[in-house]
Amino acid sequence: HLELLEAQAYEAAVKQEEEEQREEKLAGLKARVQKLRLQRDELQAKVDLQQNGQLGKESIASELAQPSAQDVLEWKIRSIKGILQIFYLTGISAKLTRRGVCFSISTAYEGTYLDSYHLDLVINQEVQIYRHSVPTFIPLQQIAKKYLQTDIRRFFSVLSDHLNAYVGRRYQADQLQEHFSDQIEGMLQRNSLCNLLVFNYTPSQSQTFPFHARLLYGDPCCSLPTEAVVSCRSDAPASLAETAAAHSDLFHRLPLHKAFRSFSTTGGSRI
Amino acid sequence: MDEIVAEYIRRTVLKIPRDEIKTMLQKWDFLSEAELEHINFHQIKENIAQEVVQLCEENSTGIKQAAVLDIIYNHSYPNKRMWSVYQMKKTGEETEFFDLTDFKKKFRRQLQSALKNVTVNFKVYEDNAIWIRIAWGTPYKKPNQYKTSYVVYHSQTPYVFVSVSILKSNLPLLLQALIVASDYHDIHEMELRSHSLNSLKDIVFKRYSQQLTKFTFSSFSLHSHLLLPAVDLRIVEENRSEKERIQRLNSEAFGDGPQPKLEFAQYKLETMFKSDPDMDVLDKKEPFRCLVKFSSPHLLESLKSLAPAGMADAPLSPLLTCIPQKARNYFKIREKKSLPPGSFLSP
Repeated sequence: HLELLEAQAYEAAVKQEEEEQREEKLAGLKARVQKLRLQRDELQAKVDLQQNGQLGKESIASELAQPSAQDVLEWKIRSIKGILQIFYLTGISAKLTRRGVCFSISTAYEGTYLDSYHLDLVINQEVQIYRHSVPTFIPLQQIAKKYLQTDIRRFFSVLSDHLNAYVGRRYQADQLQEHFSDQIEGMLQRNSLCNLLVFNYTPSQSQTFPFHARLLYGDPCCSLPTEAVVSCRSDAPASLAETAAAHSDLFHRLPLHKAFRSFSTTGGSRI
Repeated sequence: MDEIVAEYIRRTVLKIPRDEIKTMLQKWDFLSEAELEHINFHQIKENIAQEVVQLCEENSTGIKQAAVLDIIYNHSYPNKRMWSVYQMKKTGEETEFFDLTDFKKKFRRQLQSALKNVTVNFKVYEDNAIWIRIAWGTPYKKPNQYKTSYVVYHSQTPYVFVSVSILKSNLPLLLQALIVASDYHDIHEMELRSHSLNSLKDIVFKRYSQQLTKFTFSSFSLHSHLLLPAVDLRIVEENRSEKERIQRLNSEAFGDGPQPKLEFAQYKLETMFKSDPDMDVLDKKEPFRCLVKFSSPHLLESLKSLAPAGMADAPLSPLLTCIPQKARNYFKIREKKSLPPGSFLSP
């Protein structure tokens, strides 16, 4: 009995140590984030100064001479270098090439690393996308038209949001199809962007699929649905209407596969 | 069961290589496992086909199921058909919410309202590819199941892959149905054709490994390493630097991965004939029209191997290397008054 208590005490001590280490690490990371934020603000200030300085030079000198293309290019490269450092932690990394910069956007969803997408930018008079591996159904040209020339950082931020949301939605749909296929009638109806999912399902092991779900992901940068309509089949008992409403709420809040997992744990259905 | 359907199934099964028949019937998922066990797949194909038709008779197969078997066959052997690529345009910029059920309904309705005698079948695959099979009839004749067109469409993309049958007159109808069903407003044919459907997809969806800057290791040093296989140290490579230069330029032009598979590239030239002014070959100063066509079982791979094999100078003409990036293998080249259409400077 004493040994058992000893073992328990030892385990508790180990856990406590781990907890302490984790908190230390967390504090360390938080401090680092602070430091980086300060750095970022400093760099931003520098960039703004340079930008203003450059514009100032331009407005004075435009009567006399144009700033050389070389200068403009150098300034652009400098500003992009600054952005590179800032973005590294957000899954966006880049590398200078002969003609410009090549960016890589790494996506992830809930801790799982998913696809990487690349864009090769060429910097001449304006920034152009020379080559890229972004899927056709992501509105790359639209986003580029809005932000590429004026605010590269925003361009990558928005594009990254689109891509991360897309892979997040796709991941959920794949997980649902892989792990809960027996709770779905037939195949999940989806599309390339995974922004509209339609399926008949049952929350528990049963032969019938009393619920019909239609999930619309209205926000292309969001991986949770904006609309989750859950209805009961016409021949289903009226008591299920309540469950349907509860499920609809669940789909709004939780990732799809987690919502399905919660069905079995709460034993939520009375079918 | 309809005699036409029976014959159609028989002929479809005969097209399949004998070793693949069982797998394809399993994919069809129409005959049960137990029924499939009864068929002897080691006999000659004619007999296998007969047994399959027999089982289908017992299951009263209709044209719909037979059509699905045809789709499965074409999906497994898409390279037997010639595919063209069409591009659709839409005006709005809102996010599309593609609803498959809606699309199928609209497409079918559009076709059937224009032409009553037409069979339309759909099959969706896991990569979001929607396969549409259309068998055409006339206002007075039932659809001919052997004259089929195939359409492959990935939702929320502007590209459609079409394999048209001989009846080109039905093409406008087909294209109209596509834009109505997918909610676009215009469609035009791209100058891109090939037997390899997957390569066409690779090109327009940019799935082939383009020459994108590598993030993991320095590409140039790797190539130098590759150029030095384990050879006899007494042999000295005189042209090593030249070889490396060619390799580097080739890699820049084509990338390092496998190339999409195209069978030809066609260049229609309408340029002036440039000759020695003394020779004065042509009296009139008119553009010299000629057609240059490159054919190969795998055109891009063979172009890629031209410079390393010493048959062409590196870098290769951008007219050849721009093919996957411009997504076309039909070109019209005119005089350089303005930027020629085959120019590669515009990304």
